[in-house]
Amino acid sequence: MPDYKPPAKHYVPLGAILAFAGLIIMAAIPDFQPYTAWASLILVAYGLISCYSRLQTYLEVQAAKPAQEIRVKVQPEGPSFQEVLRAMPDPVLVVSGLEPDDIAGRWVVFANKAAMKLFRMEREGGLLVSYIRNPELLEAVDEALFGNVSRSTLFDETGGAQDRFWQSWTSPLPVEGTGKRLALMVMRDETDVRRIERMRADFLANASHELRTPLASLSGFIDTLRGHAKDDEGARDKFLSIMAAQADRMGRLINDLLSLSRIEMNEHVPPTGEADIPLAVKDVVDSLTILAQEKGVAISVTAPKPGLFPVIGDRDQILQVVQNLTDNALKYAPEGSVVEIEVLLDQALPQASAPAEGQASRLMLLRPDRQLNDVYTVVRVRDHGPGIRREFLPRLAERFYRVEGQKSGNKLGTGLGLAIVKHIISRHRGGLVVESVASEAQASAEGQKSERVASLPVNEIRTFTAFSAYFPQKSVYGQIPVGPRLLNDDLKHTG
Amino acid sequence: MNPHTVKTYGEELDQLSAEVILMGGLAEAQVADAVEAVARRDVALAQSVIQRDQRLDELEKDIERKAIRLIALRQPMASDLRKTVSAMKIATSLERTGDLAKNIAKRSLVISESEPMSGLTRSIERMGKLVSSRLRDVLDAYKGSKLDIAQAVWSSDTEVDEHYNAMFRELLTYMMGDPRTISACTHVLFMAKNLERIGDHATNMAEHIHYEVTGEDYMNERPKLTTMEP
Repeated sequence: MPDYKPPAKHYVPLGAILAFAGLIIMAAIPDFQPYTAWASLILVAYGLISCYSRLQTYLEVQAAKPAQEIRVKVQPEGPSFQEVLRAMPDPVLVVSGLEPDDIAGRWVVFANKAAMKLFRMEREGGLLVSYIRNPELLEAVDEALFGNVSRSTLFDETGGAQDRFWQSWTSPLPVEGTGKRLALMVMRDETDVRRIERMRADFLANASHELRTPLASLSGFIDTLRGHAKDDEGARDKFLSIMAAQADRMGRLINDLLSLSRIEMNEHVPPTGEADIPLAVKDVVDSLTILAQEKGVAISVTAPKPGLFPVIGDRDQILQVVQNLTDNALKYAPEGSVVEIEVLLDQALPQASAPAEGQASRLMLLRPDRQLNDVYTVVRVRDHGPGIRREFLPRLAERFYRVEGQKSGNKLGTGLGLAIVKHIISRHRGGLVVESVASEAQASAEGQKSERVASLPVNEIRTFTAFSAYFPQKSVYGQIPVGPRLLNDDLKHTG
Repeated sequence: MNPHTVKTYGEELDQLSAEVILMGGLAEAQVADAVEAVARRDVALAQSVIQRDQRLDELEKDIERKAIRLIALRQPMASDLRKTVSAMKIATSLERTGDLAKNIAKRSLVISESEPMSGLTRSIERMGKLVSSRLRDVLDAYKGSKLDIAQAVWSSDTEVDEHYNAMFRELLTYMMGDPRTISACTHVLFMAKNLERIGDHATNMAEHIHYEVTGEDYMNERPKLTTMEP
């Protein structure tokens, strides 16, 4: 430790000089007076005591100094090396170990801020296995500690709502003396690289698979128009309108695929702005009024006043969530029914996915990373369509998944709406819950290929499907004045 | 005498729980890798899962030996005794978890020989992810003695059951549709069952954690799905 300077260093020789001077006085003065004797004795004693106490503090300071502390200075006046490491954006850890077979002896002796965040550490040090359980990483650490091997390991931080991929470099650190060994771990976020790779593959697979059907029908009609339907006016008009519809569908599909890719790309970057859910609901309802009127479906909204209760989020994306959910509900709502939209504040996540009220089945399609005390703003969109049976619920937010028996319907959809909703909510660290009561008629149709059930009288059983999107709130709003009920009664048509 | 071989009582206890966490990490990785081997039809990964299972068995034996030694020589009392006993029990659960993961890997070798069934393997992947997160939560709860997380794991097992029931029906439809897929589908069904049992082991571990921290058993019944139609 070349740069270490104990504060008492100069006093040690001073004390020695005093003691020595006392001795000389004692020896040099021939006729011995009592007071000179006392004075010189006190001098000697004082000198010895100061010597001893300074030496003791020096030794104490030395002993208290941790052996493995890295105290290399970058510059004489600059920040210490530890401060530099602490400020690094990439996670850095220093691990110490004693023996190969003693797992409880591996300690994290240094961790910078990024590492503490990654491994959810409360302190800068601690038992290694209590932070890192990944067997490959632990093996790499062991190799660095006891085998003097540097290497890089790929690992993924799974289990959370978003997967993240990391590359870690482990290498031994030289230490002199003591049996302790040190290893350095530096990690780098590889999520973006991996994500782009996977997304490209996914996009190509999805796009080619889903675009093939409309494309085949387009080219089929083109062939027909070129061939025997060349001079048939009526057929030409009919075919052209089908072709236009197919082209529309392809356009929608491409739009949805692109927006899904964009959302997936940013999924691990949490949004920073503020968004207002009641306002988003109002905007969506305004834009869908005409469509609802055409279908003869009323929309009822229960929400607090816009502008008072913001959540953390991206305005456009939250708008898209509400839009997609409402679109979906309108698609399956039978004529003359009501689509209900509710906005609730200060909600906790439902604990279990046990069947909710009565025969309703409930499933959490997306569970946020657990934070037990979080509160959420919930948007619940409920339609009184035929409902979805329990066994179909887990696959709902999958791309291009359609509930059996709905495929043949003439619904305009790309099969990506709920997937987009799920990814947006995942980016917002929220949750998505679906509840549904399906009609008994549908349940009994199991086995044989079921026809569309929407035509059955569904009013006898209160079937419904409700999607609830949970967005985390910054804080609890507490006592909320009961919001005004914006009921779009003017939309109500009786079928 | 080498000073490192003599350990204090506290160090021995720490060593025990550190080994359980290590074993937990290994079991976690086994489950994740087995599911990935199914999803990607990765034969090499499946084989490495099968091989690595031995390590889990060794760790379990080691933990058991250490726990028995500790009980015999140190006579732990109260929380120390609970810690020792629950370490032993959790190690057993983790070993079973590893066996189930190994079984999934073995079955993935068989189904990789038949036609890919992307819909079904995706369902396995989704269920595997859910079960992995359950396992991760319970191990987090163990290392930090966090009762609330253990409680959350314990009370949300129905979600896994729900997935299992959904898969059961899905598989039935598949097999009825095309009898040639029956043998592959049966393997997938057993995989789903194995995952469901791993979920059960996670709830068991949550119970052990609760016992370790409080010294009491759960009084109320666990919420369960009983609707199991034929």
